[in-house]
Amino acid sequence: MSEPTTIAAPAAPAGFAIQKKRLRLLGLTVDDTIKAFFGGNAVVAIVVLTLITFFLMQEGLGFFAQNRQSLQVYRQAGLEYVDFIRTEVDDHTALTRYLSDLRLRQLTALTEGRKLSLDEANAALANFDKFSDTFSSTVDPVRSLLSDLTEQATAIKTKFIVTGDKKEERAQLLAEGKTAEAAAVKIEETDFAAELKPLLATLPAFKEANREFSRALTASLEGAPVPPTPELVARMERLKQLTRDYLARLPSVERSLETWDYTLPIPAWKTVSSFVFGRQWLTASFWQDWYGVIPLFIGSLMVSIVALTLAVPLGVGAAIYINQIASLREQRVIKPCIEFISAIPSVVLGFFGIAVLGQALRALSQFSWLSWVPGFPYSERLNILTAGCLLALIAVPTIFTLAEDALNNVPRALKEASFALGASRLQTIVRIIVPASLSGIISAVLLGLGRVVGETMVVLLCAGNRIAIPDFTDGLSVVTQPVHTMTGIIAQEMGEVVRGSIHYRALFVVGLVLFVLSLIINYAAQKIVRKYRISIG
Amino acid sequence: MVIAAPILMDTPPSAPAKSSAEKPSVRPMPSFVPSAAGPGASTAPIGKTLVDISHLDFFYNTSQALHDINLKIEAKNVTAFIGPSGCGKSTLLRCLNRMNDLIDGTRVARGTIKIHGVDIYQPDVDVIELRKRVGMVFQKSNPFPKSIYENITFGLRLQGMNDSAKLDEIVEKSLRGAALWDEVKDRLGASGLGLSGGQQQRLCIARAIAVEPEVILMDEPCSALDPVATAKVEELIQELRSRFTIIIVTHNMQQAARCSDKTAFFYLGKLIEFADTRDIFTKPANAQTEAYVSGRFG
Repeated sequence: MSEPTTIAAPAAPAGFAIQKKRLRLLGLTVDDTIKAFFGGNAVVAIVVLTLITFFLMQEGLGFFAQNRQSLQVYRQAGLEYVDFIRTEVDDHTALTRYLSDLRLRQLTALTEGRKLSLDEANAALANFDKFSDTFSSTVDPVRSLLSDLTEQATAIKTKFIVTGDKKEERAQLLAEGKTAEAAAVKIEETDFAAELKPLLATLPAFKEANREFSRALTASLEGAPVPPTPELVARMERLKQLTRDYLARLPSVERSLETWDYTLPIPAWKTVSSFVFGRQWLTASFWQDWYGVIPLFIGSLMVSIVALTLAVPLGVGAAIYINQIASLREQRVIKPCIEFISAIPSVVLGFFGIAVLGQALRALSQFSWLSWVPGFPYSERLNILTAGCLLALIAVPTIFTLAEDALNNVPRALKEASFALGASRLQTIVRIIVPASLSGIISAVLLGLGRVVGETMVVLLCAGNRIAIPDFTDGLSVVTQPVHTMTGIIAQEMGEVVRGSIHYRALFVVGLVLFVLSLIINYAAQKIVRKYRISIG
Repeated sequence: MVIAAPILMDTPPSAPAKSSAEKPSVRPMPSFVPSAAGPGASTAPIGKTLVDISHLDFFYNTSQALHDINLKIEAKNVTAFIGPSGCGKSTLLRCLNRMNDLIDGTRVARGTIKIHGVDIYQPDVDVIELRKRVGMVFQKSNPFPKSIYENITFGLRLQGMNDSAKLDEIVEKSLRGAALWDEVKDRLGASGLGLSGGQQQRLCIARAIAVEPEVILMDEPCSALDPVATAKVEELIQELRSRFTIIIVTHNMQQAARCSDKTAFFYLGKLIEFADTRDIFTKPANAQTEAYVSGRFG
């Protein structure tokens, strides 16, 4: 019985001591502890990422329900109804703006073209001014009706909001157990049908006013004077045409008013589309808040485009130079310098942008010999161009470092083969090195883009922060206009909003959009890099 | 053994000094300028000294890699450089088309390398033109990450050739020359990286011969290949020797014995012995050579 055991495990000879007592702590060896420590760190990273995603989603997605309610109130309180009329009046205002622009042009033509004095020119325009006054006053009956209706609708909305507040108050009291106080809170349910009755009753009056307006406007066109130059005559004809189109649209406003129904529910897609395609970001308004991401998105996009247009040639060019052409000493100087840029805090860059770059660029734009540059001269110191230049500075180190890595990864053998076939240095770079590292360079650019899109401080300080879609009609000069960006708006408004309000949640949705954008950009960059690794072998 | 009989045996390795003294005055202008006599494999007659290395000292920074090398390589012959690792044979090979220029801190401290009597280290030499005349095949096959067709035409396009009919013709000729045509003719548009190791190396040889150099330098072309692929490349070298002057660095003594006419044995940066391959392997004059070729060290 004992014999086999002795054969299986013969006593080890003295001096052959390969066994060691391991130190154990809570049953774990040192190796296990180290493994658990690093594994734990990795898990924490994943958990944090999940939490961030979850938190963003939880706070953000609530926006759509609230937005739907907001749109519902917008409809039920009659604000939507009144806005049909407001649009009509606003369109007329646009026409009068065109008219005053025309007057300015005529004045210039008279004073500069015909050398009249200012008084003479104004006298010559008396006829035009009379026409202009008639034209703009035609809308008065509609406008006065509009201001009445605006008050009524605002009153209904206020009432509804007060009711909502009271309900909340009562709920809170009940939650605290103060039943008596809760019962004392008087709640008056808003009866939209009754409240809207006087509003809707104005329809005949509106129709009357509209007909009067239409007649007067048509008549006023008859009195249009003939401007002095052919170019301006053409503009006057354009105005007449626009006015006729506008007149043709008037009956459709009446139709929309007639068919309008406050009981119609807001479709679910509208709550999303009013955010995704909304052209207005308007908060704390007395009338109606709009949360449309388009102006912010376009702002971010424009700033990023300008930044990349500057940063890609600079970053990739510098990477090629350092990797392929520069001497060892140049490499030692230039590389740390470029990488040091990324160490500058972005708020310092923003400060520099306001104090130096913005001023300098504006001063530059004032030179008459630079007036051929689109958008020059301009007066807004903080605009897309200023922010774009600084963001380019932020993107250059990223693009440079990653592009240089990509160039470094091109096997030396390829370079040698190219040289051995009689290629010059430039030919080798253009035909072999850059094509072989192209995907790496593209992903470097994408990661640079990710850096630019996510950058906050610089755009907040230097982009001008005007929430409006920039005017693209003048082509490239759009870069001299101020914009607001998705990152900037979150940084600016998040501190002021009421937690849980629709505005608060809207900012979270903007954050979500940013998150998804960065995710896509990084994913694309990784995908391209992976493909590149395979192709090099 | 498939040794092709050495074509020229009557020129001893220690060639007469008078020819090297004359040559600079006979051909003072470098032929490495674009307008000079067009590229062609047939300008030097068989057996004439084509590459003349004299008293060459070469340094990597401060360490001397080559000591006083004197060597005359004949045209239309296969010359093998053998020797243990670090003996300077690859360094010497890379001196011949100035590939060492790409490495920082390298310099030729003394001596000359003359090709057709022109010193290739003179400042007026156009290195690009030189490299068109002296092609190179590397140890590790390094096709460009482009199609097979583009790999072959790369050197030609660099020279500005764009005539597609002519390019097609040269691609076929080069691939046939490299014994690769039948294997790839149906997929010229496929990536050169999709070929097997041996095919890739033959593609690199085809790429090198497409520009019709006079000299082809081969730096251990078979060291990464299996025996079958090695045999094919060696067979190819035998076919190419009638058109090109081939200099091959190899670790494999059997390979040197099989495919070269002349063999140079290097040891510790010095040329120990240079003679007909048959003599080196059968009756080496130097004791070190004998020790190496018989496998006693290296």
